[in-house]
Amino acid sequence: STMLPLLLLLLPAAHGIAQLGYRPALTRSPPLEGVTTASTFVVDQPRCIFKDYGNAVIWLVVALDRAASTFNNTAGPGTPETAFQRFPDPVRAYMTLNATLGSYPCPKPDGDITVLRVGSETSCAQDASRPTCNGPLPGPGPYRVKFLALEGSVPVAETGWSVPITLRKAEPPSSISTTGKGHSADMVVITTLLSILFAILLAALVATLFWGSDSCGGSSTFSKPESVTVRRYNTHHVYDQPAARL
Amino acid sequence: MAKSDDCVHILQGLLVFGNVVIGMCGIALTAECIYFVSNPHGLYPLLKTTENSDIYAAAWIGIFVGLALFALSILGIIGVIKASRTLLMVYIILMLITFAFEMASCITAATHRDSLTPQLLLKQMLERYQNSEPANNSDSEVTKTWDELMLQNHCCGVQGPSDWQEYTSAFRRTHSDADYPWPRPCCVLDAQGLPVNLDGCKLGVPGYYNSNGCYDAISGPVNKHAWGVAWFGFAILCWTFCVLLGTIFYWSGIEY
Repeated sequence: STMLPLLLLLLPAAHGIAQLGYRPALTRSPPLEGVTTASTFVVDQPRCIFKDYGNAVIWLVVALDRAASTFNNTAGPGTPETAFQRFPDPVRAYMTLNATLGSYPCPKPDGDITVLRVGSETSCAQDASRPTCNGPLPGPGPYRVKFLALEGSVPVAETGWSVPITLRKAEPPSSISTTGKGHSADMVVITTLLSILFAILLAALVATLFWGSDSCGGSSTFSKPESVTVRRYNTHHVYDQPAARL
Repeated sequence: MAKSDDCVHILQGLLVFGNVVIGMCGIALTAECIYFVSNPHGLYPLLKTTENSDIYAAAWIGIFVGLALFALSILGIIGVIKASRTLLMVYIILMLITFAFEMASCITAATHRDSLTPQLLLKQMLERYQNSEPANNSDSEVTKTWDELMLQNHCCGVQGPSDWQEYTSAFRRTHSDADYPWPRPCCVLDAQGLPVNLDGCKLGVPGYYNSNGCYDAISGPVNKHAWGVAWFGFAILCWTFCVLLGTIFYWSGIEY
């Protein structure tokens, strides 16, 4: 019976690294507009995942999708083999965002937004003296990430790899088509009606100029106001006749 | 011929009334167009660079047409009362010319509404906003207009902040995607003009950035004015049509 605990103790040592069932994922709650951008993405912090590893430093491993399965857990962070500045070629996976368990208290307080933004550090992106820089990703990916707990330089626990994460790809503005969506009903109505009205007016004017017309009750003309007719009759030297009314 | 006299007087009365209405509408049209041309929403630079400033041409025409209508209505009233053939012929010809100009203005205003699409604004914004090598002065005007627009209306981009992610832009050439997923005016700012929570804004946490687009804030006022110029002008023209027909009829009956 004493052999059993010994065997159990030996088993982890024989396997080396504890496989935690958790897989990192893009943050779904709260919904973030910038959960993926062209060079960054946001994953949830690993709260309550590494409870048993209080002495370990938890690193985030970011790998090209096709290089995830070949990543060597014993590759140390901060070495040229895992330097961000040499990613994605020749380095195919880098390690960054190191933290101790104290940074990920468990349980997560309600209402707190506990996320990690991969790619937010632009100041050290070209600085070879900062190989663990959390620099912006160089392309749309796809990438996979996992968390790895190291005690000293010995890996003790890891999560599973995430599903492949693809970032956003930006199109050039010249690809926006600005051809009109056609003419609305408003414009057609206004144009047609106004053209018809204008045509009718011109036609009426032309018609009266060339043909004249009878107006107002059948007589061809109507009398003008008094003062004018009196003036007319003045030319005939008839002063006393009032204006003739037909 | 009392009947004929009554008929004449009724026609004269109607024409005078019609011209009074035209005069008042002319003044109203002038006032509306002056208000629009005075650029109350500060959108003129945007429309100018998108070659969409026809609405302003239509409004300028509207100002002069309105004044012309007022003057001509007075001429018309005098002509009708004095039953003078020459005055009324001058009135009819000038009114027809004014009618044609106002027709052009209405159609321009109505056409303009169709051409101010989100895609056109989006393309111009992406190509000109924060352009570090401005081709001419208008690019810096566009930047200033957009900044003020986004600050005052609490909006971002044309359809939303994702405009800056879906397309490359002049802005993106000088501002890295990791530091500026979208421009700073898209963040919720405090009284000093600094983001309330810069990380929250960059992440896109609801409440720390403006999530709606500015298209409504642009097209709303512009379309309202275009609607006003187009349909009010159309209404005036319909009324003018009736008055002109009556005047032609009246003119044809005046003896030489």
